[in-house]
Amino acid sequence: MTDTGKTPYFLSERAQKLVRKRYAAERRFRFYGLAMIILALAFLAVLFYTIISQGISGFVVTNIRLPVTFTAEALGVEPGATAEDLKGVSGFKYTKLARRSLNDYLGIPKGDTEDERLSRGLLSNGVDVQLRKILVNDPTLLGSTVEVWLLAHGSVDPFVKGQISRDLPENRRLINDQQMAWLEKLEHDGRVDLRFNSNLFTEGASADPELAGVGVALLGSFFMMVLVVLLALPLGVGAALYLEEFAPKNRFTDLVEVNINNLAAVPSIVFGILGLAVFINYAHLPRSAPIVGGLVLTLMTLPTVIIATRAAIRAVPPSIKEAALGVGASKMQAVFHHVLPLAMPGILTGLIIGLAQAMGETAPLIMVGMVAAVFDFPGSPMDPATALPVQIYIWSGLPERGFVALTSAAIMILLAFLLTMNATAVILRKRFERRW
Amino acid sequence: MSVTLLILIILGAVTAAYVAGLARVRAVSGGNARVLHSRPSYYGTYVALVVALAAFSVMAVWLIAQGPVIMGHITDLLPADVRNGDPSMRELALAQVVNVAQSGSAFGAEPYAVKLAATYNSMLASSRLYMTIAVLLAALVAFALAYRQVRPQARARNWVEAVVKALLIICSSIAVLTTVGIVLSMLFQTIHFFSLVPPENFFFGLVWDPRFAAAGSGGETGQFGLIPVLWGTVFITILAMMVSVPVGLMSAIYLAEYAGPRFRGIAKPILEILAGIPTVVYGFFALITVGPFLRDGGALIGLDIDARSALTAGLVMGIMIIPFVSSLSDDVINAVPQSLRDGSYGLGATKSETIRRVILPAALPGIVGSIILAVSRAVGETMIVVMAAGVAANLTANPFQAVTTVTVKIVSQLTGDQEFTSPQTLVAFALGMTLFVITLILNVYALHIVRKYREQYD
Amino acid sequence: MIADTGNVKFTTRDVHVFYGAKEAIKGVDLDINNNEVTALIGPSGCGKSTYLRCLNRMNDTVDSARVTGTIELDGVDIYDRSVDVVQLRARVGMVFQKPNPFPKSIYENVAYGPRIHGLATKKSELDEVVETSLRKAGLWNEVNDRLDTQGTALSGGQQQRLCIARAIAVSPEVILMDEPCSALDPIATARVEELIDELRENYAIVIVTHSMQQAARVSQKTAFFHLGDLVEYGDTEDIFTNPREERTRDYITGRFG
Repeated sequence: MTDTGKTPYFLSERAQKLVRKRYAAERRFRFYGLAMIILALAFLAVLFYTIISQGISGFVVTNIRLPVTFTAEALGVEPGATAEDLKGVSGFKYTKLARRSLNDYLGIPKGDTEDERLSRGLLSNGVDVQLRKILVNDPTLLGSTVEVWLLAHGSVDPFVKGQISRDLPENRRLINDQQMAWLEKLEHDGRVDLRFNSNLFTEGASADPELAGVGVALLGSFFMMVLVVLLALPLGVGAALYLEEFAPKNRFTDLVEVNINNLAAVPSIVFGILGLAVFINYAHLPRSAPIVGGLVLTLMTLPTVIIATRAAIRAVPPSIKEAALGVGASKMQAVFHHVLPLAMPGILTGLIIGLAQAMGETAPLIMVGMVAAVFDFPGSPMDPATALPVQIYIWSGLPERGFVALTSAAIMILLAFLLTMNATAVILRKRFERRW
Repeated sequence: MSVTLLILIILGAVTAAYVAGLARVRAVSGGNARVLHSRPSYYGTYVALVVALAAFSVMAVWLIAQGPVIMGHITDLLPADVRNGDPSMRELALAQVVNVAQSGSAFGAEPYAVKLAATYNSMLASSRLYMTIAVLLAALVAFALAYRQVRPQARARNWVEAVVKALLIICSSIAVLTTVGIVLSMLFQTIHFFSLVPPENFFFGLVWDPRFAAAGSGGETGQFGLIPVLWGTVFITILAMMVSVPVGLMSAIYLAEYAGPRFRGIAKPILEILAGIPTVVYGFFALITVGPFLRDGGALIGLDIDARSALTAGLVMGIMIIPFVSSLSDDVINAVPQSLRDGSYGLGATKSETIRRVILPAALPGIVGSIILAVSRAVGETMIVVMAAGVAANLTANPFQAVTTVTVKIVSQLTGDQEFTSPQTLVAFALGMTLFVITLILNVYALHIVRKYREQYD
Repeated sequence: MIADTGNVKFTTRDVHVFYGAKEAIKGVDLDINNNEVTALIGPSGCGKSTYLRCLNRMNDTVDSARVTGTIELDGVDIYDRSVDVVQLRARVGMVFQKPNPFPKSIYENVAYGPRIHGLATKKSELDEVVETSLRKAGLWNEVNDRLDTQGTALSGGQQQRLCIARAIAVSPEVILMDEPCSALDPIATARVEELIDELRENYAIVIVTHSMQQAARVSQKTAFFHLGDLVEYGDTEDIFTNPREERTRDYITGRFG
């Protein structure tokens, strides 16, 4: 094989064995690497599978179709009452209407108190709002009988969705055998169906899962995100511009530099303590209000925006600024007219990423009291509200089966927002990425 | 007059000042912009900026000062026995006054508090009135001064730029102020806490049992031992690192050294999705899926695992931190110069030999820095442990039991009704301070070594 | 273009290298002899480094690179499936343009190769290999009292000689040098050139260089590359005093480069 006469070491048996061993080690190492990636991706898959498989059912809710007769007498109004009059009727009267029609359908006579009490457990506490809305929208229905889809009670819902087995012994179920029989009769008659859960998007806190929603939380999150954009963008860009373009190299700027990098890694809960101590206890801003949450999230987002802006400014080649200076622009003009516009896509990308982080932040908001149960929509950032991730936290602690689905559904909504934001950031970066 | 309205008025005045400044400079230059030192709009901007600065700074100072001044006044008006009595009672009385004043409901309040609430509200109202007058006056004076300076030779652009630069400096000092705010907001309450509970009991105490005493009853302080709480944090962090370091590091190595561009282009962003998922989602995942799974799985093989356990929290936190470790390590590994790889391949080393014997040792400082940053992240993580670790402060090395952490205790001591005078509440600030100091040291050290590492290969 | 027969180490025929669609080497036939220094010269981008990197298959580490033609080491095609690249590189060592000592001690730098190839099983053997290699690289006297200091702490010239020692330590048959002196000052360069001349006794050496003076000083054979072609190959003296090709003459007289 060789014409040099030497017997090379590499042809020896020992060397060949060693090489085989080395290649085996190589394959093993490579396999570990691949296995670890697959493991990480598997975690992600399981996480998404859990959330989505649970959450899907949160977007629908059990409804029962009943023939409801809107008798003027039962509502205590004159026949031909206006929408205004019908709005003023107490909810209890509407509730009674719904219960009456259910009892009639199930053949429960008036005065059969035990069965009446049990049948109440099939209907949601929110049917009054539903009926009132229908009638107010069309007052001519007064006096007629209409087939209406009414929300079922939260304890019925998991059985219809099959999340809890109907074979459980009666004492471990929230609905007893009689109620189950009624439910099955209604199902048999095709009067039970899963319909889109619009309350999920339009309602606030509620003790009943079928009436609870993330509406208030979404609005609270929206207020906070607006505040973060309004404050963190100018402050962050201003700070970055100064540090990158104007600051002399001295102890102070070094300190600011270290400080910003460190702030980016301070635990979020510490920002919550800051918000509690400064904005609530010292400045006496209202508790549970988006303004406080927004300020805290602004301070948290600021380092992200500053760091992204500095990187974006640094990516603009100095020659562009020099060209502006060369035609007699002041430094300030060169920076504001040329550097900043060119850095803008990078800055916006950083801002969106910062916003996405802020949007999912929970702990500091708990600290500033945004965990309260808020039923009404906030009219301004000074009114109490919750935030989407906090709503998830609150619901995750509730024992009713229905809230597990709602929590997962809320997580899906939150993740949809975050994915959209991050995708926007990626597209923005791709679209405006410039190679100098 | 509400603050919002006042701000709108100031903004209107600022616009007017701009227009006036512009008109003035047009007039004095006779429409000939060439005689001017700066472009006309700079003169308008200058006048507007001066007005805005004057008005907003007066307003800011007023808003910051009015709270303490009014509270000081109210304190003087408190009944003598309350005023000179226990400081915590005084705080409570003041809180009651503010509460009555803000809610307008006198339910269950002391009569003097109701009276003082009225005083508080009227002082607040008159403070607002005076503030409005002071702000408008300041704006007017500033306008007059700036307006008179508008002359053709005036260096308006330089002035405007000086003001803008000052604003930029203020922006960059916000970051410093935030840190100062963090430290101060916790420092005083921590000192207050240590006046009630000796520091040695806190730092070396082995029992955590704060016993929520009735408001202001003083005597019952409970035990505030940091050790079991801190141990929970350390224990969960160790477990999380045992998951995230091997998975994250090996993933980063595979992606950086083995994966083809297509696999890398797909796997990397997917892995980064893990980093974008809010921690509350991980907490829910731990609570609903991982906890019950471990409990049931443990029961199958005869292990007694609590649904809320150190293991659950550590595992899920480890998953959360994987992308953190992997993306930082990826940066670090990519920073190792190609020439070292070439040198090793040129000697006939295989890829894994090159990675293990050349790249990893060369990247070690950077990787250590990344891991320390990840540790700091794990130590400060709140939601996962709040939802999955439990609340009982167990000093145990059994990962199947529930433990609690510093962050869990901060949340539980500071939510719900609180008065900032009892040690039960104040301890949260001492815990917060401890957490801040620990993460600060970790961060500064990690950033330092990562920076030194980068410089080495730049 | 085939010069001496007899003492041939490398035989390369019709070698093409493609980076993606770009052809960097366009059919090179060249023999490389034992116990001689062969210099590859030519303007930047002429393909001389690319050709050099074919000889120990360093181009394998570049994803887009593709090599065709035959390259035989002692009559065996090194791109054949039966040839193990790891072993090949131990037989054909390489020294790079920029000194690239590992961030380890001097000792560990030199011991790295013998360790991974299992050339020394005992500590004493390893010590011996390290010492011999450092001696051959002319570095022993300068560093024998501080073998545990970082290789990166040495001066540039010392680092490059350390890299040469590192290559020698696996007892290669050929040493490839890719502009080994381009990052060094003149004194360090002279030292490395002396070393190359000494090493010629035991190895076949291929050196890529930018400096024609260096090629003239250290090599016995010179190959002139231009735009991926091997323009001329022959005894160094002939190439520099009496080139056959116009392009070679233009290059060595400094008309282009």
